[in-house]
Amino acid sequence: MINFRQAAAFLLIFLSGLGVGLLVAWVIAPVEYVDATPALLRSDYKDQYRLLVASAYAANGNLERARSRLSLLEDPDPVQVLTAQAQRSLAAGQPWESVRLLAALASALQNTSPVVSSPSPTLASLALPQEETPTVPPTPRPDSPSPAETPSPAFVTATQVPSLVIPPTPRPTRTPTATPGALFVLTRQDVICNPALPDGLLQITVLDAARKPVPGIEITITWSSGEERFFTGLKPDVGNGYADFIMAPDVIYTLRLAPGGTFVSDLAAPICPTEGGEIYLGGLRLEFQQP
Amino acid sequence: MPRWALFLLVFALGVTAGLIYGWVIAPVQYTETAPASLRADYRTDYVLMVAETFHVEQDAALAVRRLSVLGSEPPETIVLQALDFAQQGGYVQEDLSLLAALAQAVRLVTQGGAP
Repeated sequence: MINFRQAAAFLLIFLSGLGVGLLVAWVIAPVEYVDATPALLRSDYKDQYRLLVASAYAANGNLERARSRLSLLEDPDPVQVLTAQAQRSLAAGQPWESVRLLAALASALQNTSPVVSSPSPTLASLALPQEETPTVPPTPRPDSPSPAETPSPAFVTATQVPSLVIPPTPRPTRTPTATPGALFVLTRQDVICNPALPDGLLQITVLDAARKPVPGIEITITWSSGEERFFTGLKPDVGNGYADFIMAPDVIYTLRLAPGGTFVSDLAAPICPTEGGEIYLGGLRLEFQQP
Repeated sequence: MPRWALFLLVFALGVTAGLIYGWVIAPVQYTETAPASLRADYRTDYVLMVAETFHVEQDAALAVRRLSVLGSEPPETIVLQALDFAQQGGYVQEDLSLLAALAQAVRLVTQGGAP
C-alpha cells in the first residue's frame, strides 16, 4: 500500500523525469528543421528573397513566376509588402536600383490579376507531407516540350525518378494589363489651400484606366538646383497610387512620370490666404490617369 | 519490486513523457529560419532566381554573394546540387541552361578567374 509520502515522492520523481525529457527535447536535442519553406524565413531574409524575386522578374519578365514565388512567402498583400519594403529601402539609403526593382514588381502585380484559368500550382501548393516521399506525377510547364518530344540524356522525367520530384514553378502566360503601355495623362491639377496640410505639399495620384491606384510609378521632380526621384505607393496607408513631395517657396518644379515620360512643368507652391488675412504656402494636387 | 526499481521506472516514465511532448506533441517551432534550411525544391528555385538574374547582370561575384546565404558549402556545389535537382525534376531546358551557365561562372570566380 502506497502512503501519501511515497505518492508525493513518486510524483516528484516523475516530474523530475519529465523535466529531463523536456530539457533534452527542447534544448539539448531539439527537432532539426531542415526542410523549411520560404514563409518561415526571418524577416530580413524575406526582404532579400523579395528583392531576388524582383530582380529575377526584371531579368525574365515572367510575372506569373514572380507571383508564384512571392506567394511562397505567404504575405497577406504582396503588393503592399513590396511597396513597404521599397519605402524601407529608400529610407535606409539602399541602392536606387533595389527600390526600382521592388517598385516595378509591385506595379506589375497591381496591374494584372492572377491567371486562374489553368491549374498553375506553386511550389507551396505542391508541397508534400514531410513524412512521405511519394512520386509526384510531372506537371510540365505549359511551354516546355514534353519529355517524349525531347529525348535528352540530361533530361530525366519524373516517372523515371523513384523519389519525390516537385516540378518547378510553371511557366505562365503573361496576363495583359488593362491598358498596357498607355501613357498617363494629367487629368486634374488643383490648388489646395488647407492650413492643416504641410506647407508646399505636392500630392500626386496615379490611376489606371479603371481608376485603380497604380503603385511603383517612378516620378522625377527637377528644379534649378536639384532633382528627386521617388515612386507611387511608398505610402500605402494613404494610397497605392499616391506619392507626395514638399515644394519650397519661390521654386519652379518640373515633374515627369517615367512610363512614357508624361511631363508637367511650371509647378510652384501657391500662396494661400488665411481667414485672418495672413498668408501661407499652399499645395498642389495632381492626378494622372491612363486613358 | 524493489523500491529503487520502482523509482527508476517512474523517472523513466517521466523522461519518456517529456520526450514525447517535446519532440512530437509540441516540438520547437522555428519561425525565423535562414535560406540554408530551405527544402531542396525551394533552394533550387532560389538558385534559379540567382541564375536568371545573373543571365542579365553577368555579375558572378554578386551571384556568389547571393548564393552564400544558402549555406557554407562552396557556391559551385550549391549550384550543382540545384542543377541536379532541376534535371531530375523536369525543369525546362532554358532553366537548366541558366543553372549550368551560373555553375560555370561561379566556378571561374571561386577559382580566381574572371567570369
